[in-house]
Amino acid sequence: MATTACFIIVSRNDIPIYEAEVGSTVKREDAAHLHQFILHAAQDIVQDLAWTTSAMFLKAIDRFNDLVVSVYVTAGHTRFMLLHDSRNDDGIKSFFQEVHELYIKTLLNPLYLPGSRITSSHFDTKVRALARKYL
Amino acid sequence: MPVWNFCNFFILKESLAFIFEMAQLHEDALREYDELELCYSETVNVAGKQRDFGGVERGDDQAALLNPGNKPLTQIVQDDSFREFEFRQYLFGCQAKLLFKLNRPYEVASRGYSFIISFSKALALYESILPFCMREVWVVTACLALINATSSHYKDGLVAPDVEKEFYRLEGDLYSLCRLKFMRLAYLVGYGTHLERSPVNSASLSMLPWPKPAVWPSIPPDASSEVLAKEKMILQASPRAKHFGIQRKQLPLEPSVLLREANRRRASLSAGNMHEIFDGGMSPSNKSHAAAMSRTNSSPGNFESSIDRPMRLAEIYVAAEHALRNTISNPDLLKSLSSLEEFEQKYMELTKGAADNYHHSWWKRHGVVLDGEIAAVSFRHGNFDLAAKSYEKVCALYAGEGWHDLLAEVLPNLAECQKILNDEAGYLSSCVRLLSLGKGLFLTKERQAFQSEVVRLAHSEMKQPVPLDVSSLITFSGNAGPPVKLCDGDPGTLSVTVWSGFPDDITLDSLNLTLMATFNTDDGVKALKSSTAIVLKPGKNTITLPLPPQKPGSYVLGVLTGQIGKLKFRSHSFSKGGPADSDDFMSYEKPVKPILKVFNPRPLVDLAAAISSALLINEPQWIGIIVKPIDYSLKGAVLHIDTGPGLKIESHGIEMEGRTKPIENTVAENGSLTEKKKFELLKLENGRVVFPDWASETDSVLWIPIRAISDQLPKGSSSGDSQKRSIVDGMRTIALKLEFGVSHNQIFDRTIAVHFTDPFHVTTRVADKCNDGTLLLQVTLHSQVNAMLTIYDAWLDRQGGVVHMGKGDGRPTSGFFPLIISPTTRAGILFSVCMENMADTILNIKYGISGDRTTGAHPPVLVESAESDGTKQDLIFRSALIFQRPVLDPCLAVGFLPLPSSSLRVGQLVTMKWRIERLKNFEQDEILYEVNANTLNWMIAGLKRGHVSLSPEQGSRIVISILCVPLVAGYVHPPQLGLPNIKEASISCNPAGPHLVCVLPPALSSSFCIPA
Repeated sequence: MATTACFIIVSRNDIPIYEAEVGSTVKREDAAHLHQFILHAAQDIVQDLAWTTSAMFLKAIDRFNDLVVSVYVTAGHTRFMLLHDSRNDDGIKSFFQEVHELYIKTLLNPLYLPGSRITSSHFDTKVRALARKYL
Repeated sequence: MPVWNFCNFFILKESLAFIFEMAQLHEDALREYDELELCYSETVNVAGKQRDFGGVERGDDQAALLNPGNKPLTQIVQDDSFREFEFRQYLFGCQAKLLFKLNRPYEVASRGYSFIISFSKALALYESILPFCMREVWVVTACLALINATSSHYKDGLVAPDVEKEFYRLEGDLYSLCRLKFMRLAYLVGYGTHLERSPVNSASLSMLPWPKPAVWPSIPPDASSEVLAKEKMILQASPRAKHFGIQRKQLPLEPSVLLREANRRRASLSAGNMHEIFDGGMSPSNKSHAAAMSRTNSSPGNFESSIDRPMRLAEIYVAAEHALRNTISNPDLLKSLSSLEEFEQKYMELTKGAADNYHHSWWKRHGVVLDGEIAAVSFRHGNFDLAAKSYEKVCALYAGEGWHDLLAEVLPNLAECQKILNDEAGYLSSCVRLLSLGKGLFLTKERQAFQSEVVRLAHSEMKQPVPLDVSSLITFSGNAGPPVKLCDGDPGTLSVTVWSGFPDDITLDSLNLTLMATFNTDDGVKALKSSTAIVLKPGKNTITLPLPPQKPGSYVLGVLTGQIGKLKFRSHSFSKGGPADSDDFMSYEKPVKPILKVFNPRPLVDLAAAISSALLINEPQWIGIIVKPIDYSLKGAVLHIDTGPGLKIESHGIEMEGRTKPIENTVAENGSLTEKKKFELLKLENGRVVFPDWASETDSVLWIPIRAISDQLPKGSSSGDSQKRSIVDGMRTIALKLEFGVSHNQIFDRTIAVHFTDPFHVTTRVADKCNDGTLLLQVTLHSQVNAMLTIYDAWLDRQGGVVHMGKGDGRPTSGFFPLIISPTTRAGILFSVCMENMADTILNIKYGISGDRTTGAHPPVLVESAESDGTKQDLIFRSALIFQRPVLDPCLAVGFLPLPSSSLRVGQLVTMKWRIERLKNFEQDEILYEVNANTLNWMIAGLKRGHVSLSPEQGSRIVISILCVPLVAGYVHPPQLGLPNIKEASISCNPAGPHLVCVLPPALSSSFCIPA
């Protein structure tokens, strides 16, 4: 399991709708803040890369010292962004795919307004479980 | 055969490249160098021989990656190869030179960036043998050199937009990298306190490991004064207090505490001493505490202790500064690190360069973040105007994309700038935005501080009212459930839920809410106003607003505006029944839920006359008015009654009774429901009646006592005259105005026509005429009303002339009475009268009426309740009788006397004679006569028109003769005698004159003959 991992879902309007620190160790409490910053900046790269490929999984798009940003862009241009320090590309891909399924299930919820914050605790639990499994 | 080694290969390849270059084949030359680089990296990576890396000579710290001629190659030959440090830079320099010649500065930048990254990694491997911070210094110089070279070779517009974007991005990256390393160096020499602890700096610096020299530089022996200066600087630099008293842990700028790292890397320091420093239990990431601790550990001036003693922070700074001075050969860089001012200048230059290039490359997030760094420096230098502008950009980015955590970091800074700049509107909106950020981002105390700032400013002396958008803070929604339904013109109240995001109660001096019609947009929106001040609690509030009458249509909530002190705020956002935790919802179109429906105008009530049949004229009668509310409450309704001419309200007691529908009667056969039929006596005041409450929902009938006044004596008609009295004579109108609705805003006008009539219509007929002048007069009574009439008595009054036979009082036999006449039937009475003068005879009938007011005419209303015998009341009906003279009653006889036997001839005079004979006594003794003849046919001699006197005695005669000449032969109408003053009915023509007479042609006369 990765020691550091920060997972964020960004809606197509660039708004973060889900955030989770899924690393096994949280070194510093301000890390989440920095991770957010890094992921936010990485959107600059995503916006360029997302249209160059038909694949949803963009692999590692940005490096920040030891940390890597991997991105998965859904058809609706919702971005799953993971900041991590592990090198397990396959695991990350599987993680993204499973989270995508979860996200679609959330979208199908008639009470969920697309683009709004995902507050479902079930979703949160599942994402964390997936992170433990794959990262 | 020469032995293969890299040097030989290199000589071969480079000669080839040189030849290509000479031949202007730069591409080929570049390919040779690319191959060389590939081969070199392979030979270098062959493990085995420990090679000298290089880079330890003076001046090596300055990157020579664009300067292939920096050192002669012979100097860097090592065994059969070259020293890596110099040779890789040499190869890159050659490639760059060729690329510039090929006019491909973008490629230089692109290759250069990756070269710097990879070379930096190589430097990291040999960091222990290289001078202190050699790697950082090299990267800084390499980046600057690359930026200078590429940007000077780059010309705008020569490349595709994509490449241009990419080029700027690389430049931005280079600047950014350079800036990062420069900051690291600055931190090592003690300028860390002047670095903004922003997310961007913290993220890059705190994840960048410290340099790892073999031994951390130790303090030079004669540096006590410098140490003192640094101590002073540390003391002076107080950590910047956050605005609004925000307590927030500062972001780190270092991967680990420098004090610990530096001392650990000093070989002579034992682990035991380390613990001495940190046994205070302080958090390792807090630098300012570490500085404070170092101060308490040793008093200034007491640093001539043994080398084994752990260094204090100031000593570390001084030691690093000295070591760097040895490392750095570039005077510019040395100068930039020499003083705080120089450092800030360089820092700004790099930051601006990075920001500009990122902006050019459309990497707005990278660029804007660096704008924030520029703003921080501007702020520190008191350049608040610039700082505010830059901060605004950053805030706009974060707010626009909804990254509230990051926004919370910057927004207080912007607010502070605006406060200093006295930009009230901006400051207020920043405060509102701070308040509207997620509650978890700030403590309650901080949020209260924001609110108190808003309230303080709102009530301060602002020059002009400041508009403020509080959409994110105060949201509103209509209440759940169906919309309020109103009829056209009705006022009402509207209940609105308002969510306040303020941490404390807030008093709104006024509150307006606009309603927008969903369909017609032409109307200006109307604002609902709350007159009193409203205190909003944090969270959900329900506010009730008065709703003035609106036009028909359905309405949605528009804008909430209001005033806090002099602050005009407005909010556009609806909440979905809960506080919107972010602006996410705003990005989606909300389903517009109508809050108010005003129906089209429709009849809300109906007033109608209860009966259609006629009422008795000149008698007090109940007129019934049916009040029928149509799904609308008539609570408190007021009816204005205005009677038309010829109508008078008899008394002020008005009866109102419930009107049960026929269906109800059938359902409730046992009468329990009908018994509940409401009845109430109402009072008429100033022509107004107030309805009782029970009548507000159900149909009811209002009975008004009324009397139609007519001073005309009804006239009977003779039997031959079939014409009836015009119905209009008995028509009266009542104007009704019903005011109802919540505030009597609804008005219903109706004019009701009521028909009044006499009970009878009388026709007379002379049934028989006796020789003695006695007449048998048949009087027929037509009942005009829808009620049973009972005749008790009837007699004739004469003005003179009528002499009754029999008993002499004109009454028929009393045994006939009472005579009952059913509705709309007729009855006859026979009078025997002696006719002398027929004029002015009046028929009197004493009668009673038994009818129901719900069907038509009825017994008169008892005005005085004192009348005890009110059950039966006799009424008198008077009618003038009209007698008509018999049709054939001639008083004059006109006879046409026979014409002479000889036939008439044209041109011959003839005398026409008429005899007029008086048949009976007759007032006129002068008779006007007139002879009418066609002037084409007849020539008349003598008076055509004139008076003749006739003696008034019966049987007197007169002959009128007129001399005429026929003019035309044939059958022509003879002249006619007319008596214009006498009715034709009075003239009997006997014998009647001929219709046509024959006129012969004139007798032949020779004098007329004209020979042919």
